[in-house]
Amino acid sequence: MTLAFNPSQPPMPPDRLLQLDDVGVHFPTRDGLVKAVNGVSYHVNKGEVLGIVGESGSGKSVTARSIMRLQPKNAINASGTIRFRRKSGEELLINEQDRLSRTMRDLRGNEIGMIFQEPMTALSPVHTIGTQIARTVMLHRKVSKAEARARAIELLGKVQMPRPNDIVDRYPHHLSGGMRQRAMIALALACDPALLIADEPTTALDVTTEAQILELLKQLKDEMNMAIVFITHNFGVVADIADRVAVMYLGRVVETGTVDEIFYEPKHPYTQALLQSIPRLGQSHGRRLRTIAGMVPDPFNVPTGCSFHPRCMKAVGGVCDVQTPDDVLFPSGQRARCHYAGQTALAEAAQ
Amino acid sequence: MTQPSKNAPAAMQDDTIISVRSARKYFPVQEGWLRTIKGYVKAVDDITFDIKKGETFGLVGESGSGKSSIARLILRAYDLTGGEILFRRSNGEVVDVSTLSDRSLREIRREMQMIFQDPYSSLNPRMTLLELVGEPMVIHGVGSEGEIRDRVADLLRLVGLRPEYLNRYPHAFSGGQRQRIGIARALALNPSFIAADEAVSALDVSVAAQNINLMQDLQEQFGLTYLFITHDLGMVEHISDRIGVMYLGRLMEVGPTDEMFAKPQHPYTEALLAAVPQPDPRGNRTRKRVPLKGEIADAMNIPTGCPFHPRCPYADVKCRGEVPELRMLPSGRQVRCHYAETLDLVGVAAA
Repeated sequence: MTLAFNPSQPPMPPDRLLQLDDVGVHFPTRDGLVKAVNGVSYHVNKGEVLGIVGESGSGKSVTARSIMRLQPKNAINASGTIRFRRKSGEELLINEQDRLSRTMRDLRGNEIGMIFQEPMTALSPVHTIGTQIARTVMLHRKVSKAEARARAIELLGKVQMPRPNDIVDRYPHHLSGGMRQRAMIALALACDPALLIADEPTTALDVTTEAQILELLKQLKDEMNMAIVFITHNFGVVADIADRVAVMYLGRVVETGTVDEIFYEPKHPYTQALLQSIPRLGQSHGRRLRTIAGMVPDPFNVPTGCSFHPRCMKAVGGVCDVQTPDDVLFPSGQRARCHYAGQTALAEAAQ
Repeated sequence: MTQPSKNAPAAMQDDTIISVRSARKYFPVQEGWLRTIKGYVKAVDDITFDIKKGETFGLVGESGSGKSSIARLILRAYDLTGGEILFRRSNGEVVDVSTLSDRSLREIRREMQMIFQDPYSSLNPRMTLLELVGEPMVIHGVGSEGEIRDRVADLLRLVGLRPEYLNRYPHAFSGGQRQRIGIARALALNPSFIAADEAVSALDVSVAAQNINLMQDLQEQFGLTYLFITHDLGMVEHISDRIGVMYLGRLMEVGPTDEMFAKPQHPYTEALLAAVPQPDPRGNRTRKRVPLKGEIADAMNIPTGCPFHPRCPYADVKCRGEVPELRMLPSGRQVRCHYAETLDLVGVAAA
């Protein structure tokens, strides 16, 4: 299953911005090796939003951080390739870059921006918003201090911050949660990145603020023709913003497809079960929620075979608990990592 | 034991367990080393509502709207600035929680319990499950050591945890399991009323569904009454019989869940419902969503007139000048809006 890097890998299609193939990230711990990311493949085309959903511990964030090479020091990049198309058009193998290298420093902030869940911990508390944005601009562009400040004000306006001329000299603690998130988006966009990685950017916000931020991200994406990798555990948010969706479970992508395929024709039992376990507005209340039995197994004891089989309603003894399933590819391009994807009838017969 | 309340307890209807009447909680804001009071934050301002026996009353609103303060006032973790909170004890006696002596309060607290949001910080990491779940019994001097042990084992079984876990510490459990420990602890003294403050907000989708089902089962089994506080409108719709919508320390609308979500009569309820991202990509594309402008006002500088008017798309001169009262409409709905009868607002269509 694990492919070593193959230099004769075909080049990415021209509209492809980012491609991950069989990425594995492991962490050695006192209790054993944790395979936090265990063979993840996904891609992002230019200007598109890829939504990544999954429960905690599914490896969503670890994968995203390995794109930026912002991993904890003890992380082992066990396998796979991460390819990124730079602004110049050349393909860069990110997985071969050292996290401290000049190339990575040039990439971060300049070509790939990142926003996080909690802006208060991501922004510096001792520098003004303006200083933080201006420094990023000056790091990547040959501009004067005054020009960088003007750019900061322009960016704050772009993220629809009220009174940008005033906010530019404020510190993060002066701002509300929604405004801080706007400031962080402005910072991430400082150098017109081609890719924005958004790691649960609206999770800590109120619904009304969340709706504002999602609207803003959609506008900015169209305006700047920027691609977004949007990580969240909220299916409503994914349905709102994503063009395509990857569903992750225990360090693997179990299903990918367009947003419509995932929501209306999910092929993997995990996706199906997750979609049934969320309460939806407008459905009569009081009805019992469908649940997924058990809980996400701990990463030291990943089940054999299909890692979802102990919780799967459709698991077939002798197959699912023994063999690790491969991706089943559907004509539309949808993929599901399940022995019985798309053949529910067959699975029932086998039972 | 407890003296009957001075304020005509007969005014409380028989099926009502809690009656919050014109409750106010103002927090002083101090300044300088002399701690001079420069103003008040009106966290809860003139709130009136009843909770019926055996029902689930949901409280929703953005952060800073005063939802949690109400729960804390009912359990008297905070003292009221004004108003009263009546509670019907299981023996039928009605007491005013806000004027009880410490000693009588202890008695009452056996009947009212709370479940907290963060299962990581609300459980003492140095206590075993036996100590954690048994603590309320020890404090109230209920039962011998052996009896407490048996009772804790029963409680753990009740919330779906194995009784063998008695001597383990909370760190050995996942977030969802810790939340169950919190539920077991709340149930230890056979309360009749439980306030759940964002009890499932920190949990993953599938785990939240399990715990919500558990809470509903327990409600049925023991005839519990819940005050369910959350910012998740899908969840609150699912679990609540009636809902109160809060904004800046005030109740804006109170009514039965189904009716209110199908046909809100306050513009803020409409805006909240519109902001929720739905797990329905096709619906999202067709649904017109106008994000609510601006942010919740500073609780120290509450706008004049209707507190919601700066963000309300329907506001006019009257709203800027006159504070609307919470009125009972002929439909039985309570609304704090001048134009509740004339506005035609959009809710969520039943699926």
